[in-house]
Amino acid sequence: MATDTGLARDLAALVGPGHVRTDAGALTAYGRDATPLFHALPQAVVLPGSTEEVAAVLRYATEHRVPVVPRGAGSNLCAATVPLTGGIVLVLTRLNKILEVSSEELLARVQTGVSTAALADAAAARGLLYAPDPGSRTVSTVGGNVATCAGGLRGLKYGVTRNYVLGLEAVLPTGEIIRTGGRLWKDVAGYDLTRLLTGSEGTLAVITEAIVALLPAPEESGTGVAYFDSLADASRAVADVISAGIVPATLEFLDRKCIAAVEEFAGLGLRQDAGALLLFGDDGAPPTVAANLARIQEVCADAGALETTLAEDVARADALLAARRCSLPALSRLGSLTILEDATVPRHRQAEMVDRIDEIAARHDLLIATFGHAGDGNLHPTCVLDPEDTEGADRAHRAFAEIFAAAIAMDGTITGEHGVGAAKLPYLADKIGADQMALLRRVKTAFDPAGILNPGKLGS
Amino acid sequence: MNDRTNGEHAVPPEQPDPGHGAAGPRGPGCGSGTRGAGADAASGHDPVPPAAVAPRSPGPDGSPGIFDKNLLDRCISCGFCLPACPTYALTGEETSSPRGRITLMRALETGQLPPDDPTLAEESSFCLGCRACETVCPAGVEYGSLLEQWRDHQWSGRDRPWIARLLMLLVSRPALLRLQGLVRRHARGGPGGRAGRPAAEPAAEPAAAPDQPVSLMLGCVERGLYPKVSRAVRELCPEVAVPSGQGCCGALHAHNGDSVTGAAMARALGEKLPGTVLTTAGGCAAHLAHHLGRDRVRELSEYLGEAGYAPAGQVTVDGRRARATLQDSCHLRNGLGVSRPPRELIAAVADYVELPGADRCCGAAGTYAMLRPEDSRAVLDPKLDDIGRLDVDYVVTVNPGCLRQVQQGLRRRRSRARAIHLAEFLALAGRPGRPSDGLPGPGEG
Ligand SMILES: Cc1cc2nc3c(=O)[nH]c(=O)nc-3n(C[C@H](O)[C@H](O)[C@H](O)COP(=O)(O)OP(=O)(O)OC[C@H]3O[C@@H](n4cnc5c(N)ncnc54)[C@H](O)[C@@H]3O)c2cc1C
Ligand code: SF4
Ligand code: SF4
Repeated sequence: MATDTGLARDLAALVGPGHVRTDAGALTAYGRDATPLFHALPQAVVLPGSTEEVAAVLRYATEHRVPVVPRGAGSNLCAATVPLTGGIVLVLTRLNKILEVSSEELLARVQTGVSTAALADAAAARGLLYAPDPGSRTVSTVGGNVATCAGGLRGLKYGVTRNYVLGLEAVLPTGEIIRTGGRLWKDVAGYDLTRLLTGSEGTLAVITEAIVALLPAPEESGTGVAYFDSLADASRAVADVISAGIVPATLEFLDRKCIAAVEEFAGLGLRQDAGALLLFGDDGAPPTVAANLARIQEVCADAGALETTLAEDVARADALLAARRCSLPALSRLGSLTILEDATVPRHRQAEMVDRIDEIAARHDLLIATFGHAGDGNLHPTCVLDPEDTEGADRAHRAFAEIFAAAIAMDGTITGEHGVGAAKLPYLADKIGADQMALLRRVKTAFDPAGILNPGKLGS
Repeated sequence: MNDRTNGEHAVPPEQPDPGHGAAGPRGPGCGSGTRGAGADAASGHDPVPPAAVAPRSPGPDGSPGIFDKNLLDRCISCGFCLPACPTYALTGEETSSPRGRITLMRALETGQLPPDDPTLAEESSFCLGCRACETVCPAGVEYGSLLEQWRDHQWSGRDRPWIARLLMLLVSRPALLRLQGLVRRHARGGPGGRAGRPAAEPAAEPAAAPDQPVSLMLGCVERGLYPKVSRAVRELCPEVAVPSGQGCCGALHAHNGDSVTGAAMARALGEKLPGTVLTTAGGCAAHLAHHLGRDRVRELSEYLGEAGYAPAGQVTVDGRRARATLQDSCHLRNGLGVSRPPRELIAAVADYVELPGADRCCGAAGTYAMLRPEDSRAVLDPKLDDIGRLDVDYVVTVNPGCLRQVQQGLRRRRSRARAIHLAEFLALAGRPGRPSDGLPGPGEG
């Protein structure tokens, strides 16, 4: 490996001296992401300004065997951008142009450092919808969303990022620039590398451009809240909603602890005496939206809701959704070591899973709050601890191991949207088995023969 | 007409004021926040975090005790604050984001970075201290307090920028300050200098009724540079007392690495000013509220709003109602959660137009414009573009620093819009028989 000063000099020659940082402060700041308990220092931080510069850096890295960790906004929750073995953190936020938004083709072409919200806003300005809607949308980048296959608050009706990626421009670790897919909804020529790269967590290639599908913006949207005695009750209501044949755009839930934390930040006047709330929403043609919302209210009432109300206007609905988006950071008011997980189970077993989580938390004497994308069976059990409590952190790890095992036993999975990263790599084999793990490694080698791209993550 | 100008004639609904009960989306990340002092105000609690000025001692783990650990631990690095931060917008680099700076502070606290690390020094000064990050942080990180603690450490003694030292000296010496005001007026000539007595500090008046006294704080910078502001306040609210011998509130010290002195000065001023302290500067208001308690402090717009101020007339330009916009004061909006009252007041006397990004720092940021003129201008520039597009007659500010910054920017651009302090703006409407057409002279904005 090149010496640090040699490395800095070489990289500066590739991207310009203003876009390479090797000062201790920058290395520290880029040594972590939104995942607690993981931190490691890179040797250099590089902010390329073009696909060609990305290619030059990768070619150099392969040649000199320098690890490279691609990074968007660093908002991931699975230590996916922690440079475990040093090397280069390759930050893509300078590649933040929206290259085109086409109403005719219903698509947008963007550089991948652009934020999800900026893409959504650009689409909205043309009367179009970019459907994926992760809670972190104002921060996260499209590249990060594609690389983690982010889900979000509209997942139930609209699916996850994967369903919207039509084509990618990506740079292989060896420096070749490839284009996968394109502008077509129908395109079945060859292996589906677009899908392979989607969710590849920065281990196969660096994605520099994405063509994403847009939808006509729904004419109307509406949101409401239903309060329940318990999260398990709310989960049963979710099952009833789905079996009533309604597929709402949004079906999110918060337990009592989350309601309290969110209320403290947002001051929305949420009911604090309820054990759980269900935030539901739909969009589409006005009569359909109204009918669906009314039907959801009915089903919730039948399922024993304490109260259901509809948001009276758009501002109120937006405020509710925004409040839901920040459940995780708001929860940290209870204890600033917040370990969030991302277990997902088939929808009909969600109530069972919620009970399991409660039981596991109680047995390990832990405060675990749960919120999540109820309609997808995607739960975010979040353990809140005092940062000094190292023994508690150990217990939390044991508890989460049990939670993942429970999810897998229910035909669920260890992550529904956040990705595996370094944090969950130890559990991956439990989910996919040894043969698939071996295949993953062979795929990884095909893309990245020198093994420089995001080591310690998928395919390692 | 596009939505930019939809707010004309009325305070736009997208301007929630958590300090005043309305909840709605706030900040780019996380929607409606009522946290911070605004929430405290709503619930009537004293927002003073005990840690802000308590002398910190080495932690049990041997950490240097630069920061209050509870404050520092609160950040979970979620990154929600990134889109709100003006310096992050300039560089796109983690180090100049709130989250990155907190990571740096932690490294300083744990000894992972040495105190003389150049990036630490650079970032502690590059930060505007605008506290936009606080309003969008769902975890309730009190970034403003952390920054004070950081600068206490980073800028102690000789490491403090000399301009900051000079200013701190200046504001601690009322006589010097008055001199500064006089020199300035002398150099400029014109109507500002017409007052026979030193206009910097209007003559003392007896305090109002002892049960509900309201004391006008003159503001050390303002009294030197913009004496017309406090004169306008006295026209608008004759009931207010103007105690003499006022010192400085100490905000300047607190923001420039001497929060202990800053706190002491605030308390001393609190003793000199009986009853409610009325200020015409967002920065002073936030600092005083922090140390004297939220209940004792009212910024002018809050005070007038609560007092049910009714304008005597309207502000006109060329015989028509003026078009005016507001540039928020960061500390007023982000620190105290006050954003609606000034807008309502403007709308009462002129056609109010909302400035996109009015809640974004103008780059004045206390001493910042002097310490880092280039960065300060880079922060201001997009705002000047926005103002240009608005086609307004007036840009109203509620803080002398912002007034100066916007004024200079507009002048540089030869803009037709004039920057003016809220007090003076309202006074224009409040003087019957005197057309406001005569836009203020160049010196007074
Ligand atoms: C409060 C909060 C709420 C969240 N809500 C959701 C949610 O609702 N749904 C959800 O799915 N996630 C959510 N997340 C997790 C996170 O925001 C997402 O995983 C997001 O997609 C990460 O984007 P990023 O730009 O921050 O990527 P980073 O964190 O920087 O990177 C994530 C991964 O992508 C790789 N990567 C990034 N850019 C590229 C690129 N251009 N090419 C190749 N690889 C790349 C990285 O190497 C890494 O493996 C949330 C996080 C927080 C803190
Ligand atoms: S300061 Fe708040 S918003 Fe910013 S990263 Fe920390 S917890 Fe998140
Ligand atoms: S105070 Fe302002 S400039 Fe400083 S980190 Fe917060 S948002 Fe950025």
